[in-house]
Amino acid sequence: MARVEFQASLDGLEATLQEQGTLVLRALRGAVDVLRTQDVELCDEVVAFDDEVDARYHGIEKSIAELLAQQSPVASDLRLVLAILHNSIHLERIGDQCVTVAKLTKLAAGLEPHSDVVEGLTEMGERAAEMVRISLDSFSARDVERARGLVELDELIDRTNHRVSDQVLAMARTPGTQEWGIRMIIVARCIERIGDNAVDIGEQTAFLVTGEFHEFTDASH
Amino acid sequence: MTVSTPHIDSGKLGELAVTPDGRGAETVFTVRDLTVSYSGNVALKGVDLDIQKNFVTAFIGPSGCGKSTFIRCFNRMNDLVPGARVEGEVLYHDRDLYGANVDPVEVRRRIGMVFQKPNPFPKSIYDNIAFGPRILGMKDGLDERVERTLQHAALWDEVKDRLKENALGLSGGQQQRLCIARALAVEPDVILMDEPASALDPISTSRIEDLIHQLKNEYTIVIVTHNMQQAARVADMTAFFSVELREDGSGRHGVLVEYDQTTKVFTNPSDRRTEDYVTGRFG
Repeated sequence: MARVEFQASLDGLEATLQEQGTLVLRALRGAVDVLRTQDVELCDEVVAFDDEVDARYHGIEKSIAELLAQQSPVASDLRLVLAILHNSIHLERIGDQCVTVAKLTKLAAGLEPHSDVVEGLTEMGERAAEMVRISLDSFSARDVERARGLVELDELIDRTNHRVSDQVLAMARTPGTQEWGIRMIIVARCIERIGDNAVDIGEQTAFLVTGEFHEFTDASH
Repeated sequence: MTVSTPHIDSGKLGELAVTPDGRGAETVFTVRDLTVSYSGNVALKGVDLDIQKNFVTAFIGPSGCGKSTFIRCFNRMNDLVPGARVEGEVLYHDRDLYGANVDPVEVRRRIGMVFQKPNPFPKSIYDNIAFGPRILGMKDGLDERVERTLQHAALWDEVKDRLKENALGLSGGQQQRLCIARALAVEPDVILMDEPASALDPISTSRIEDLIHQLKNEYTIVIVTHNMQQAARVADMTAFFSVELREDGSGRHGVLVEYDQTTKVFTNPSDRRTEDYVTGRFG
């Protein structure tokens, strides 16, 4: 095997991406837990933890800049480098969504929660975590079919998101619930976006394997 | 190893391959089932490929893959090699380049060649350019022709005050641009370049590559290069040649593995052998 150093750099990048993914999953689990427990301290931990995720992203970006300058990757190597950079950005955004969930939950901590809505949000969060895990595993295994399966899981999140929105709208007339409801609508939106980001990572798996980029679903979906 | 069909995206070589600036619309060379042997030993086997007008077409591949042999078929340089035999068809604007009534000298006027090592004549800069036109009787306005040609080759500003000096006093990069100018002086249609920058430093190499970009609007350029990044930088189309062992163990010969748009070859090649070569995973 020629280009041993180069291959080692590529392997290192993939390992860092998976590491970033593990950190993001930890943040996501934390965000789901704060929804359930309204633990203010845990909210602060999730927010602080985002620096770790960002550090991995900046590390990956720096390594890729060096690799492009020094190794001029082409063909599947080039696609791998591009896909890792995209995925790292997607993970970084998922981390940001977790921060928003934690901050909003902290702001809503003194307000009366609605158990059906919390249940819906928790369900969405757990599904989102499952999607992120699948997106990373299928990228690692170059498994396009498994990556495509993310679209169906994303639809389940979207469906629960609609249900949660309806529930919040229904309780909007009850005095004293509006603020909590509005904050939770944004929380639902954040988790829904995490599902979309997981699908984006799945699309990078398909790009890496086939060499062609197609969105799994169009925007009207 | 079994002989496999090369991945040639010929379907795209017509209208689809035309660049936004309109290059590539016409076919200059049509090669069909070309096999070249030297003294009975096959060097290159069964090549099919079209070269489009005003395109830069690069041939890449490991040593011994037949890419230099192949480029020499386009201006019948192999005729000059004792024992060389060219089978198959090379059409130039639909005319058989190897037809009985075709004059190889006229072929080489229309299809000029630049070699790996700059090889100016040991004469003045002016005479190097004027040599071809004089032989071909293109004597009218010779001074203007020399100036125009040197400007075309992006060399005029550097040599205009020393046209009578010996060309061997120029730097390697300047000598190579002089050789390109010499090829341009006889108004060719095609310029063949066999590793034109491999003996040059990076700055001279960039100048040659810039020149190739300028010249492609007026000429069709075919280039053999060992430098894959150079192919990626300058070529519209890239052909990858590889070496294939003969099944009967009688030796090896070159084959065309893949021919496609350069961006495709360097981002998503169709053949595993191309992928291994361009990513450096060979050997």
